[in-house]
Amino acid sequence: MFEEASEVFDNMFKSSFPLTFIVFIPAVLILVSPLPAEAAHEFTVYRMQQYDLQGQPYGTRNAILNTEARTVEAEVLSRRCVIMRLVDFSYERYQKALRQSAGAVVIILPKNMSTMPQDIVQQFMELEPEMLATETIVPVYFALEDDELLSIYTQTLTSSSSQGSSSAAEVLIHTATANGFQMVTSGAQSKAVSDWAITSLEGRLAGTGGEDLPTIVLVAHYDSFGVAPWLSYGADSNGSGVSMLLELARLFSRLYTYKRTHAGYNLLFFVSGGGKFNYQGTKRWLEDNLDHTDSSLLQDNVAFVLCLDTLGNGDSLHLHVSKPPKEGTTQYTLLKELETVASSQYPEVKFSMVHKKINLADDTLAWEHERFGIRRLPAFTLSHLNSHREAQRSSIMDVRSVSPSSRHGAGEPPAGPYVDLRKLSRNTKLIAESLARVIYNLTEKGAPGDLQIFTEQMQVQEEQLSSVVDWLTAQPRAAQLVDKDSSVVSTLEYHLGRYLKDVRRHYVKADKRDPEFVFYDQLKQTMNAYRVKPAIFDLLLAVCIAAYLGVIYLAIQHFGVLYSVVRRITASKTKQH
Amino acid sequence: MTLFHFGNCIALAYFPYFITYKCSGLSEYNAFWRCVQAGATYLFVQLCKMLFLATFFPTWEGGAGVYDFVGEFMKATVDLADLLGLHLVMSRNAGKGEYKIMVAAMGWATAELVMSRCIPLWVGARGIEFDWKYIQMSFDSNISLVHYIAMAAVVWMFTRYDLPKSFRLPVTVLLGLCVYKAFLMELFVHVFLLGSWTALLVKAVLTGSISLCSLFLFVTLVHSN
Repeated sequence: MFEEASEVFDNMFKSSFPLTFIVFIPAVLILVSPLPAEAAHEFTVYRMQQYDLQGQPYGTRNAILNTEARTVEAEVLSRRCVIMRLVDFSYERYQKALRQSAGAVVIILPKNMSTMPQDIVQQFMELEPEMLATETIVPVYFALEDDELLSIYTQTLTSSSSQGSSSAAEVLIHTATANGFQMVTSGAQSKAVSDWAITSLEGRLAGTGGEDLPTIVLVAHYDSFGVAPWLSYGADSNGSGVSMLLELARLFSRLYTYKRTHAGYNLLFFVSGGGKFNYQGTKRWLEDNLDHTDSSLLQDNVAFVLCLDTLGNGDSLHLHVSKPPKEGTTQYTLLKELETVASSQYPEVKFSMVHKKINLADDTLAWEHERFGIRRLPAFTLSHLNSHREAQRSSIMDVRSVSPSSRHGAGEPPAGPYVDLRKLSRNTKLIAESLARVIYNLTEKGAPGDLQIFTEQMQVQEEQLSSVVDWLTAQPRAAQLVDKDSSVVSTLEYHLGRYLKDVRRHYVKADKRDPEFVFYDQLKQTMNAYRVKPAIFDLLLAVCIAAYLGVIYLAIQHFGVLYSVVRRITASKTKQH
Repeated sequence: MTLFHFGNCIALAYFPYFITYKCSGLSEYNAFWRCVQAGATYLFVQLCKMLFLATFFPTWEGGAGVYDFVGEFMKATVDLADLLGLHLVMSRNAGKGEYKIMVAAMGWATAELVMSRCIPLWVGARGIEFDWKYIQMSFDSNISLVHYIAMAAVVWMFTRYDLPKSFRLPVTVLLGLCVYKAFLMELFVHVFLLGSWTALLVKAVLTGSISLCSLFLFVTLVHSN
């Protein structure tokens, strides 16, 4: 047959040249074409943080992976992608995977965090900073669970846990029937983002009555932090602070529009970016205002700086200071007013002052007021948290806000940190009353402790707070994701512009030669899981096919036997007729 | 799942054709070019069928789960063109009955193999992802070979002038079964919700029985003179 075939092809090629083109070129093109593959499952994965702060690298260094999937129970983990579910997650297993030089780690998070029990959420929150502190070369990804991913996980689990313990026959059957999965990411290797600008916003309300008025600065950072940037929504920390700041801006701008209530203090509002990265926005803003400009509100006469950080929950309020205020200063007045208002109007709130000296030897500063303290400006931070080391300040579990109207009948609080809108509005009112008492000097004028200013038309609007928190938690606000064109920044700018004057943007870019912060890209990827069979399977299949073909060959060779049998049967039949 | 798997599938699909060609003695008759001609006729017939279907049959507008029995039945009826095509090929070849049947069937089945199986195998079996359907496709092409041989034999018998009266009915029935086999298979799969391997087995059994019946009739016809 081959001779005839070759004759035919020879004629074809000799006779017409274009024909060969038509036949050959497509064949060659098809042979070398790249392969589009269909995956068993395609899903989005979010990478763990990767950044350098003050030269120190944190988080995972790698983004690409193309390895087979295993679970932690398997014996051989090296160069494999280890899949874990959040319920089974523990630090020892994570360390085990890293020690055995796994190729990658993928942690599957449930779609709805509220289904997780409290202790697992707490444990994960404690582990987040530890995971970031150890610099890992392997890429660590987080994925949200859906049905297909769950089925992939269970299949991998069964195949991983049965690896070491079976006989040769079982292994053979196993290779034929089991499914392995190859996990492949589609992106490139991660590299540093150059020229990333962190945006901060400022706005002011000018006081009345002459030059050189004292200034009160209110600060809140708007960015959020977590073990994976795309999953950090930061509801309580610091969505609550930003919404409170906006509400205070609204209330005081209303007071300042009427001549009778226009006070003799300048109010400066600052929404800072890069807060979770050692308060970069605030640092640069201070440098620009104090070192590089001739006159600025910050230079002349600052009464105090109040930083709002994580105020959306809890029944305690802590005023964090680096130096206890001296008697007779405006800062001392604020402290006293806060105590008065808390004790007379909100007895359920436990107010206290927490004194912590600035420790410059630490890697990062504790609270935002320390930035101001370093520049000799009197500053405090208000928070319902007692210590800056609390895990919920930088956790991806900080997602939701709960209001009394939306709570389910059971009344179970969510497992992780969350914003309780009733408490947020209570705290807002408390702070607003205290600030008003300081600005209008009410205690000296003899006003009683339970005088309420912000009532009726001036009351704190809980719906406003609720909508701002909901909007803030609708998108991840990690500093690596909010650039100067981001909608978060422009919406905040618009909001501030409604109440304040002179709303300005302020940009921070890392220094070229000695960068304070470096961000990396490839934080969100698409991962494909391909069903694969082990190589032995191919050989097994080839052997089976060879046997089948051998049988076919014999059958066809001896077709004549069948023919004669049929002939005999039909011949005997006709003989019978 | 890599080139090796692709090689496996191609071997499984193509070798029986090769063996059949070799062992049926067609090579002695220089039948290669005639088989290619039969293949070309196959292409032409498929083209005509596609044009006809596209022009006259509306797209099925109903829900996804409902099976349009009548519509699919009508579409299967168009496959009668296959029979006409086979008849055309066989009538143009001079020679013994067996020769004609084998040439027509080989050419037809090989053309179908190349046209409808090579590209899915090339694109799919070479990828990372593994799926049993490629092995099943290759098995299916083996079954198709037997099916086309039986179909060609039945068409040849149908057009014989010396076909005894008693044979008319069985031959017509077999002819109908051949044409509507695909439709019957889909019906089975839909009604009994067969898995893919079970469906393959049922197809093999069906084709085997059709070909056995046609073999019986053929032998009786050829050797009754």
